Amino acid sequence: MATAHIPRGVMLPAQVPEYFKFVCPPSFGGRNPDPQPPTFSFRRDLLVGIDLTLPDGGRIPMWIIEDPDNKDKGRTFPSAPIRVPLNALVNADVNCQGGTHTIHWHGIEPTPMNDGVGHTSFEVSGHYIYQFQPRHAGTFFYHCHKNTVLHFEMGLYGLLLVDPPKPAGSTVEGPPYPIGKPGYVAAFSPSTDHVIPYDVEAFWVADSIDSRWHTLDHNAFMQKCSAEDPVNPADFSKNGFFNDFRPDIFILSGLARRKSDPTAFRAAESPLVAPTLRVGQTLLARTLNADYLIQRYTLGLDAQVIAMDGHALGVPPTEQYSHPIPLPSGTPFLLTSAMRRDLIVRPTKAGSYPVTIEFLNQITGQLLYTARTSIKVTL
Amino acid sequence: MKRREFIKTGLSGLAAIAVGSVSLPHLFRFEAFAAQRSIDLVMDAALVEMVDGSQVFHWLFGTAASGPSFPGPVIFATAGDAITLNLANRLNEPHAFQIVGTGILSPTIGPGQTRSLSFSAPAAGTYLYCDPLAAPVNRVLGLHGALVVSPASGNTPYGSPTPAVQQLFNDLGTTPQFPQNALSPAGWQPDRFRIWLQHQIDPSFNARAQADYLAGRPSTLASSELTSKFLPRYFTINGKSGTFSAHDPTVALEGSIGQPMLVRLLNAGLFTHSNHLHANHFYVIAVNNLVQENVLNLDSQILQPLDRVDWLVPFKRPPDIAGDENLPLRTLIANELGLRISGPNGSPGFPQSPLVYPMHCHMEQSQTAAGGNYPQGSVAHFNFLGDLDGTEFPNTM
Repeated sequence: MATAHIPRGVMLPAQVPEYFKFVCPPSFGGRNPDPQPPTFSFRRDLLVGIDLTLPDGGRIPMWIIEDPDNKDKGRTFPSAPIRVPLNALVNADVNCQGGTHTIHWHGIEPTPMNDGVGHTSFEVSGHYIYQFQPRHAGTFFYHCHKNTVLHFEMGLYGLLLVDPPKPAGSTVEGPPYPIGKPGYVAAFSPSTDHVIPYDVEAFWVADSIDSRWHTLDHNAFMQKCSAEDPVNPADFSKNGFFNDFRPDIFILSGLARRKSDPTAFRAAESPLVAPTLRVGQTLLARTLNADYLIQRYTLGLDAQVIAMDGHALGVPPTEQYSHPIPLPSGTPFLLTSAMRRDLIVRPTKAGSYPVTIEFLNQITGQLLYTARTSIKVTL
Repeated sequence: MKRREFIKTGLSGLAAIAVGSVSLPHLFRFEAFAAQRSIDLVMDAALVEMVDGSQVFHWLFGTAASGPSFPGPVIFATAGDAITLNLANRLNEPHAFQIVGTGILSPTIGPGQTRSLSFSAPAAGTYLYCDPLAAPVNRVLGLHGALVVSPASGNTPYGSPTPAVQQLFNDLGTTPQFPQNALSPAGWQPDRFRIWLQHQIDPSFNARAQADYLAGRPSTLASSELTSKFLPRYFTINGKSGTFSAHDPTVALEGSIGQPMLVRLLNAGLFTHSNHLHANHFYVIAVNNLVQENVLNLDSQILQPLDRVDWLVPFKRPPDIAGDENLPLRTLIANELGLRISGPNGSPGFPQSPLVYPMHCHMEQSQTAAGGNYPQGSVAHFNFLGDLDGTEFPNTM
């Protein structure tokens, strides 16, 4: 047939090195090229294999990023939360075992060599000290950015929280503030320099798992590296299925349910998922879609969205074009992968208030699972 | 990268047409079109090469002069301009033309027929045009493109900006939070924009349409089958994937610190994207032609099928770089900018300058091609070429 033909693109001779870097990132390790004296340091190892245990005793292989200085509490899925003070000069000494990896500090905006993306910088061989200085307080996360479609699915992620300073005279521990306990968060509040207190903290980090993917090799379905032609069609993997995500297990902050199991998530499993507070107290709920599905969150009591993607709504100078968003009881909101919303809840009546997270197929919109938890309010 | 060389060859991801009183933006000046009141658009078949070299049949819009393009040519217009489209259907089944979110819709055009559609360009903003028949089959098989409407006046992309959007644009280059590049006038420059028209391809459906086309019969593809079984294997921005989209001059965001850029995002497919920009949070200034009253500053953006979203990317110095914020980057991170990381076999290595970051969809299936080959999917590059004072970083061409 005399149909037109449209090429996939043209790689100019001068672009061959850039294309090669994109397909086959270089490896690098050791000290940071432009080191600054740190004020906050930690170490992380990846990857470490653990099993995720299901309520029926079934096990799913996961990969996590481990805190080698806290092995008792550091071997969890999701990988343990990292909390750093606002404006701290952070050094993260990352040790990679069993191949190259990276850590991307999602929402944190440092130089490319501290951004943890192989194809725009390098992959870590051995160890490397990432360096950044967070200048917005809020909810971020960290994850491996190599063969990301697989490595993120396998569990190589965790929350990264940037805590604002507490007001003079506060006796609260921190920053960094203890997980789940009282602390301070950036939010629109001119009279308190845009920092407000909370009494109880919840994490709703929602994920789903396609267990077929959890038996694969680190480099599954990657393109081969050809030194001569980085886009040689013969080097492309032909029979992968990473476009076909069929989740059968649903996760809320590391707690798992099979698709057929509608059991609500309970405070006895984790108070971070099903928090309890008193009338008059303030709950800070941090949400993250750590998934490849569309998630629809609905709370059974009034709330307010105070921050999105780590930036506090309404806070000058860069957020002055926005304002916090009221979220009346029963009003749903959608999150797609990597989106975060921070919610403030100040309940006025005792009771148990439902929270649902519906997981929707990213193509058909079909409802796949409803995760149920609750906020318990006492007098 | 050598953008000028690339443009000369005319091999970029987007074709373009200017209509009425507007002239083609700088990025598209290689195109052979002069502004005109009347546009001849042809709907025809073509084979589109995927990033892995496979050939996939499509139905596409194009011009009689340059042939079909994927996506269809961008139409640039000014709000209120009188536009006439002469739409020729060279395919085997009825087709039509619609601008999503407006009442602008052509009559049905039978095989071999040409029909005209006259309308006034809608309010300034970002629009998706497509064939609405057999929805979503005809759109998903390739019959879509972008319409960009500029305002007649003002310093924003809109005729009636909200107070928040007006304030944001007034503040660019005039406030401490948005310092201007020494080589640029204050404010947003209308030529500094990109279009990211995202799409997804399930070749099994294209093959079905191809079989009908080759047999000379109308397509038998049912919309219910497409919507229930669509499983894309290729993910494109402006018709390109992976390293080809990341380096395409119509896709890559390029500039120096203090040179803000507008990005117009559109989703022509059926997959919901979640676009994550590294290095800068972006301001969401319009969603489906609604200029925003509450201008959110985000790093990840939901983009559902048919959505149009406008971002203002401030091109701020990445705010979380460790160290003294008053030092120029060429001083503060001199070693990173000067570093070449060695490659295999004694190659000269990979320079780390200029500063390159990605934009990628975080629904990571979209970062694959043929089920793998990460990151050969829906990805763009975001390139910082120099410091605020106008000094370029090394290796910047």
